[in-house]
Amino acid sequence: MIMPLIKGLQITISHMFKKPVTLQYPTERPDVKPGFRGLHALNVSHDKAKCVACYLCPTVCPAKCITVEAGEDANHDKYAAKYEIDMLRCIFCGYCVEACPVDAIRMTEQFELANYSRADFTYTKDRLLEKK
Amino acid sequence: MVNLTIDGKQVAVEKDATIYDAAKACGIKIPILCHDKKLHPFGGCRMCLVEVEQMKGRLIPACTTPVTEGMIVQTTTDEIVKARKLVLELLLLKHPIDCPVCDAAGDCDLQNLTYEYKVNMNRFVDEKFNHEIDYENPLIERDMNRCIHCGKCARICDEIVSYGAYTFINRGIEAKMGTEFDGPLNCEFCGSCVSVCPVGALNSRPFKFKARWWALQKTKSVCSYCGTGCQLTLGSKDGKVLTTIYDENQGFHNGQLCTRGRFGYQFVNSDKRLTAPLVRRNGKLQEATWEEALAEVTTRLAAGKSDPASIAALATPRLTNEELFLFGKLFRGTIGTDNIDHSAGYAHEALTKGAVASFGVAASPAEIADVQKSNLLLVVKSDAYETHPVIGFEINLGVKRKGIALRIVSDKKGKLTRLPGAKTTVHAPGNEVALFNALCKSVIDQGLAVEGVAGLDALKAAVADATAEKAGVSAEEIAAIAKEFASAEKALIILPIGQGYPGHNAVLANAAANLAILTGQVGKEGAGLLIMGEKNNSQGAVDMGIYPKGTGLNAAAIIDGCANGNVKTLFVAGENPVVSYPNRKKVEKALENVEFMVVSDLFLTETAAMADVVLPAVSFAEKSGTFTSLGRRVQNVRKAIPAIGLAKSDFEILNTLSQALGGARYNNQGEVFTEIAASVPAYKGLTQAGLKDEGAVYPVALSAKLVPAAAKAAAPAAGKLALVTGSALYHCGTMSRFGEGPMYVCPDAYAELNVADAAALKVEEGDQVTVTSGTGAVQVVAKVGKRVPQGVVFSPYHFGEGSVNTITDGAEVTYVSVAKK
Repeated sequence: MIMPLIKGLQITISHMFKKPVTLQYPTERPDVKPGFRGLHALNVSHDKAKCVACYLCPTVCPAKCITVEAGEDANHDKYAAKYEIDMLRCIFCGYCVEACPVDAIRMTEQFELANYSRADFTYTKDRLLEKK
Repeated sequence: MVNLTIDGKQVAVEKDATIYDAAKACGIKIPILCHDKKLHPFGGCRMCLVEVEQMKGRLIPACTTPVTEGMIVQTTTDEIVKARKLVLELLLLKHPIDCPVCDAAGDCDLQNLTYEYKVNMNRFVDEKFNHEIDYENPLIERDMNRCIHCGKCARICDEIVSYGAYTFINRGIEAKMGTEFDGPLNCEFCGSCVSVCPVGALNSRPFKFKARWWALQKTKSVCSYCGTGCQLTLGSKDGKVLTTIYDENQGFHNGQLCTRGRFGYQFVNSDKRLTAPLVRRNGKLQEATWEEALAEVTTRLAAGKSDPASIAALATPRLTNEELFLFGKLFRGTIGTDNIDHSAGYAHEALTKGAVASFGVAASPAEIADVQKSNLLLVVKSDAYETHPVIGFEINLGVKRKGIALRIVSDKKGKLTRLPGAKTTVHAPGNEVALFNALCKSVIDQGLAVEGVAGLDALKAAVADATAEKAGVSAEEIAAIAKEFASAEKALIILPIGQGYPGHNAVLANAAANLAILTGQVGKEGAGLLIMGEKNNSQGAVDMGIYPKGTGLNAAAIIDGCANGNVKTLFVAGENPVVSYPNRKKVEKALENVEFMVVSDLFLTETAAMADVVLPAVSFAEKSGTFTSLGRRVQNVRKAIPAIGLAKSDFEILNTLSQALGGARYNNQGEVFTEIAASVPAYKGLTQAGLKDEGAVYPVALSAKLVPAAAKAAAPAAGKLALVTGSALYHCGTMSRFGEGPMYVCPDAYAELNVADAAALKVEEGDQVTVTSGTGAVQVVAKVGKRVPQGVVFSPYHFGEGSVNTITDGAEVTYVSVAKK
């Protein structure tokens, strides 16, 4: 009767001397591993988003959270006049990154995506553009 | 039949079939890039190489090799796959891999084949082309860097459209698909080249970057412009019609469309669409709810029920059969007025009076398929190409492929005139009836008339004094046409009708029918008279009885009634009398005078702007139903997108009104079609589901009779030019003005003058001219050419500004003076 209790306490006490597995978030930050799929970012090259609005990401997206609208710029080139991701629907599968033929989108290490209103979860092109 | 074996399968095909056709017949797919079933075999791409047992040692192109008895064909061996891969590698050597930004991606033959044959590397290295891309053209974007030199665009433009805008220029590696002097594209803009381009070298500019092909919802429907009834596939996304998609297996025309069918769809999602009902309050049209608007209409119509003669209604033949039937039932049945009409009254007369008198049916005795089955086509007015361009393509094909003789009697020349072997007889304007009477007389005089036709004696008496001189043409020409027509095995008369052609009325239909009946060219395949209704459902409007049957007023009388106060309430469903009925000033005055006018339309047209209540209606893309095209084909129209704004279909509007006024109520438009099938004899046995994709041609029982047609003597006024109205190739009715495509190419009203007249008036192309008649004066842009003969001016009727009905008054020919502004 007493033995199991002692056994249990033994485990409890032994943990008091081990390194804790939990993280004291937010004072402590996790070490994000490579390949982590966090918030998306649109890659920039020559001061322009690399995205050519080919619509492959909205096509492949299983959650249907990406909205793209193509536009024609002054050089008659195709660009994304609108690029929006609805983070509430996104399942962070990374298919968009995999589908992109021009390496225009990647997933960052940013995982803190909480917000106050639904509208704030719509990430527009401006918010997604990689920050220098 | 020829028997052969393809991949172990036995197949029997016609002796003029190629290996490709034979493989297709037994369900084996041979890859192609340069072949199109509508075009002559070309054999340029070498993708369709196959192995033939009897011709071992080399690979044989399947698309150009005719079948022979006992042929043993292999379509996929290792050697063939290797050869096809090589073809693709060589094509990809020059073809840019810009699929992410190319609108053809997803619908690109080269892309699909590259994927299918797993060409993921290239053994060769070369620079890509660096041709200049034509961004200037508002409809067709040409990026010759992507071109794979299949030549389909040049061939379709030459063989079917008969325009010849493209050809290969330069040689060897520098060869490219070029235009006249390598300049900008200046053609009819039918977009046939875009439709057949296997890659993205030719793109539809209005659709550029709008959506990817795979994201489009594809809806098979029927074009809502002219009466040809071309089937088209609407590509829509997010409630917007974004493009028309080419489907080579659609309709008699194999997916071939004209400029307005292919590029004129933007009116559906135009910003100018009405999205809410408008009611006139304190002299101004203001937005209202449907309940308010319909309550007002119901009250007026209910009050008018006690005096049905004071109510009149005009409908556009663009509505579906179901809507028109309900329209007739509401006004004729529930309200009890016979004052209903469509198409200005005169534009359907050729069917409702002409064909009825001559053939005993209010429909054209011939159908579209007869065009290609005929031996001789007699086309009334070269404008048949402009009014019904896809019938024009059929004529082109018939003349060029099958050697059909083409005779044109017209008041001006046109594109048909230039077809090989075509003979055009240019007569003085307004002399069509006199010309047909002269032809009849010549047939009788030459002893070519069929004996024992009903009404022969009456006709003989009536045409006794008809001469070629009265028609303004030479006696030899008349005798030659009469002889050719009578002695042809199968001869067909093609008569376009419409609001632009007041002269193409019942009398002309009788006169033309007389010639066909007199020479025995009726009641057989490929012969007779093809009356081509102007609008998508002109034939349907006639079948549904949208014209006064008893003592009711016709369209012209309704306008007069509005002016003199006899008509107090006018219901207009989609018509735009202010622009399309003769004598604009008179119509405007009449519509101002009428106590209460309701207009249901897609746009705030010139007519709708004068209404007391405007109801927003929907376009053909937002509703289902049926259209009946010329040649009596009933076809399904299918809803592609939800209604824009608060707009409702005319079916919903009429159904609500009908119920409110104590009439019939239907749960859906399908129920109306069931009732049509039960009550309109010609539609007996038809069901919407039974029409499927191809539609059905309803049969007619003809009782041909000769009906004397009295020719009016044209009275040319000295020193004046003869103004003839009609349709422009890029427009149809007044609706195409709201499509961007047609407006890019033909934005303004114009008057076409002969070079000699223009020189005498010191007018040059593009000048503003004032055209004055006894009715009024209008300012339009001058166009100068050799198409119209000296002394004749041509002007299309579609435009709101500079509308030609300001100066016409319903006469066949209006005598005008033209002066530079």
